[in-house]
Amino acid sequence: MSRNKILFGIGVLAFIAVIVTVRLGGFLVDNEYRQPERQVAVEEAAGEAEATPRQQGIADEQAADEAEARARPYVEAEYRTVPFVGSRVTVWVLAQLHLLFAAFVLAVPIFAFIIEFIGYVTGEKRYDRLAYEFTKLLSVSFSMTATFGAFLTFALIILYPKFTNYLMHIFSPTFLPYVLLFFLEALFLYSYYYGWGKFGPKMHLFLGFMLNVVGTAIMFIANAWLTFMMSPGKREDVDGDGVPDFVSAVSESGALLSLRDAFFNFTWMPINIHRIIANVAFGGSIAAAYAAFRYLQAKNDEDKAHFDWMGYVGNFVAIIAFLPLPFAGYYLAAEIYAYSQTLGIQMMGSTFSWLFVIQAALIGNLFLGANYYLWLGMGRIEGTVHFQKFIKWLLIAIAICFAVWATPRYAISSVSEIAAMGGSSHPQLSYLGQMSAKNTAVNILILSTYMSFLLYRRTGRTSIHPHRQLLTRAQAIVFSTAAMLVIFFGVYGYQVDAATRIRFAIPQVYSVLAAMVVITVIDLPLYRNARQAAQTHWGKMPAISQYALIFIALSFTWLMGLMGYVRSGLRGEWHVYGVVLDTSPDAYTPTLGFATQVVSVTVLIFFGLIGVVFWLSSLGGKKAYEPQAAADADGQLEGA
Amino acid sequence: MKLNVPMPVKMVLLVLGTTAFYMYLGQIVPQKEVHPPPPVLIDPGMTTEDLIEVGRELVNGRGICMDCHNDVRAPAFDGVGARASSRIEGLSDIEYLAQSLYDPDAFLVPGFAQGMQKMNEPPISFSDEEMKAVVAWLQSQGGTATVTLETDLGY
Amino acid sequence: MSAINLPLVLALLAAAGLMVWRRANTFTWLLFTWLSLWAFFKFGLTVPIPQSVVTIYVGIMTLAVVSYASSSRERLSETVQPIVRLIVEPRFRLLLAALLIGLPALAAYNVYADMSAPLEAPGFGREIHPAPPPEITVHDETVNMTTADNPYLHLHEDDPAAWEEHLESGRRVYYENCFWCHGDGMGGDGMFAHGLNPVPSNFNDVGTLPALQSSFVHWRIAKGGPGLPDGGTPWDSAMPAWEKFLTTEEMWDVNLFIYEFNDFEPRALGQH
Repeated sequence: MSRNKILFGIGVLAFIAVIVTVRLGGFLVDNEYRQPERQVAVEEAAGEAEATPRQQGIADEQAADEAEARARPYVEAEYRTVPFVGSRVTVWVLAQLHLLFAAFVLAVPIFAFIIEFIGYVTGEKRYDRLAYEFTKLLSVSFSMTATFGAFLTFALIILYPKFTNYLMHIFSPTFLPYVLLFFLEALFLYSYYYGWGKFGPKMHLFLGFMLNVVGTAIMFIANAWLTFMMSPGKREDVDGDGVPDFVSAVSESGALLSLRDAFFNFTWMPINIHRIIANVAFGGSIAAAYAAFRYLQAKNDEDKAHFDWMGYVGNFVAIIAFLPLPFAGYYLAAEIYAYSQTLGIQMMGSTFSWLFVIQAALIGNLFLGANYYLWLGMGRIEGTVHFQKFIKWLLIAIAICFAVWATPRYAISSVSEIAAMGGSSHPQLSYLGQMSAKNTAVNILILSTYMSFLLYRRTGRTSIHPHRQLLTRAQAIVFSTAAMLVIFFGVYGYQVDAATRIRFAIPQVYSVLAAMVVITVIDLPLYRNARQAAQTHWGKMPAISQYALIFIALSFTWLMGLMGYVRSGLRGEWHVYGVVLDTSPDAYTPTLGFATQVVSVTVLIFFGLIGVVFWLSSLGGKKAYEPQAAADADGQLEGA
Repeated sequence: MKLNVPMPVKMVLLVLGTTAFYMYLGQIVPQKEVHPPPPVLIDPGMTTEDLIEVGRELVNGRGICMDCHNDVRAPAFDGVGARASSRIEGLSDIEYLAQSLYDPDAFLVPGFAQGMQKMNEPPISFSDEEMKAVVAWLQSQGGTATVTLETDLGY
Repeated sequence: MSAINLPLVLALLAAAGLMVWRRANTFTWLLFTWLSLWAFFKFGLTVPIPQSVVTIYVGIMTLAVVSYASSSRERLSETVQPIVRLIVEPRFRLLLAALLIGLPALAAYNVYADMSAPLEAPGFGREIHPAPPPEITVHDETVNMTTADNPYLHLHEDDPAAWEEHLESGRRVYYENCFWCHGDGMGGDGMFAHGLNPVPSNFNDVGTLPALQSSFVHWRIAKGGPGLPDGGTPWDSAMPAWEKFLTTEEMWDVNLFIYEFNDFEPRALGQH
């Protein structure tokens, strides 16, 4: 820094200091206590003023206040409030931040472990380095998770003391195991991270495996607490009439009857499954965003190639986990319906139905973003335009499915539009707003994204399998059969009654899953040792692809915030559904607009913090601070 | 001439822009605040007329009945007061309506699936008096309400 | 196939065919795709798609077109090149100038069109014409909603002089009480109309008076906003219950007048 700059800086600071001093002085002078003129005159006239009854009165009042204060009974607070923000939003934001970091910390070890394992089996060093790169992100995130967890716990105890106490009543036996597991998690995480390359590969893989086991166990315990709030009990056919009956884990007034039923409650397993898959998708996308961040910073080709590849793998993980996610979500929703039709209808039919239109937009964006990244990725491979012509058709399929999925059942329409349509739904479009069309759309979306993957995989490669033509045709037949089955069930769904239509979702899902499995099984031998016609140039991606990765991560985070809101907001005015009523002023369900604002603020805070995590993790790759260089800089300053 | 925006600025713009876009989506959909239903008080002096009024409030509010009873998921209420006495042989309209509330799966209107909750159970948890109010309102839909607080619904 | 606007679709297909034949470049194709899909969503169906849904579709389509154009280096340059050529090559200068004026003008026109669209209540979640109760009581007189009809309607044939008298009385009632909100020309655009939600009924609209029985109109006049059933919520109509201010005869007179003024016939009894 040159001397002129320093002088200039000092000048600015001095100027600010002068202004501050003057303003502060003025403020103090203005607020100095002066006795009112009238008072001064009275005192001067009376000489030593006598104690008036007024002063006696003030003293008496003070004494009475003190006596009352001493006798004040202790009242247990039910709720406390936070100024401006409100208790609900405070707990909401903290819980969401805790969950986002926790999801990341739980997800990264899952695929870091898998990648490390691949590296161990194939013996390729780059996988090991990649797994380590992912793991680097963990330690700071782990501290963040713990910090927000503690923050959330305090917030709950302070703001919802009575309700927190109730949860203690139900779940107190689970807290000690939770804490112990947390210890183990820290132990395995740090030994996994710091022990990289220090242990034998098998021992290290074992540490990674245990890290995953412990992490999953922690999540399962925490899931029990929150699913209990939604479904405090199970459904079991008690009277043997074939219809499952509701078996509550607590008495009518809320006393615990069975910890077992409270813990293994009805929505516990669906949430567990849904969360593991969603965590992996989310973790993959955040790791890909990290790689994008580093790619854009990278100065040399080697780093660019490495982080390009890392971003690709992170996105691959995210998309592979994302493909079954709609099915897991469908399963969770179906289980919520099965638990309580009332809850199910609150979710899809009335209060929250518009939330799912926003969800459609997010998921559509995610599919589009993921495919877009893959298509850009084909540009890594030299001179291949062979598959480019398919992109158009894939894009058309994706756009149509996206549009179908985002078509609302009842559109927002003005009076004249309603008059023109002759009702609140459009004569043709209303078909697209129904479940049959939407299930079909999401299945085709999944198939199209899978197709993009396949095309990417074979770009620049030529199969040397003896029956390659036959096998490729078989793949094409399986693919089109699955697509036709999905569309057939979608269209046929309009001809049958509602109960049958709901069951059509299952063959649709199975045909898509089966097609993906069969095609993958054919693809593996088909492209084993394939002739590499063109070189893959990692690090030769246009910058926009990296921003696409960050966009995907953002959309995932926002989607998690939104779906977290609906899962929690679903209970309406209940703390524990059907058992403990929320009587605080925050018991109402806010508008969707307000909820999305809270979600957005949470996402921004999370990205601010994850930016810090990225920055801290990237410090590891920087050159060490050298005193010599600093001294040189000083010397230059002297010279100037 | 090439416009060179530094990477961190682009990143921040992307983050803010995407978040703002999703937030905007949240603002353009219909906005509705759902407040917990106010407590409905039934005092012993209430006449059938009063009960109909209370029942109407319960059906539209705490009972969230109208979410389904629109002939899509479940039969609509138009004229149910006239139909109730002839649904099941041997059951009067009050008995039939009480059975549909306390034990909804006992009889299903043809063309509709089971799935309604027992209305005396959580989360709705209608008291017996509130059930009478709901029955009174249902009777008044196309029929004449006869239920009073003294009526025994049999559950 | 009366559901779609056949001439438009045929014209778009013809244009696409022409472009295939002329081997149009990527940029032209993208521009054409966007414009033709926009036109289809906007005008392609005989029953127009609600504006909110058109916005969703056009948004998705724009995303798709942009991601197609930028999803490979070759396509990006194919898309951008015509634009660059347009800007730098002197022979396109006239076209460029036209665009520079035309595009902002289009945007300005769009804003103008948006702003000058008539004020409308959103129709979502509210029944415009909720089902009336079976019968109402106006001034101690029971009116059966299905069978009641305007008692002076028959005078049109039977006693034209009395008919004129009733019409004149209706005119007086309307311009003393109703026109403040419903407007001089009954377009639902009176001087107070813009402060009200829901907006006052537009009696010029073929969807309003001809679709209703005169007994329905009588019900709405007599009972006003306070008499609306639950289906009329969440916004309560500001219309007063006119039975408190007008006699039964005056209410039927004004009923007669608003139909006559707009040249409409009430919906006949029992007609669905």
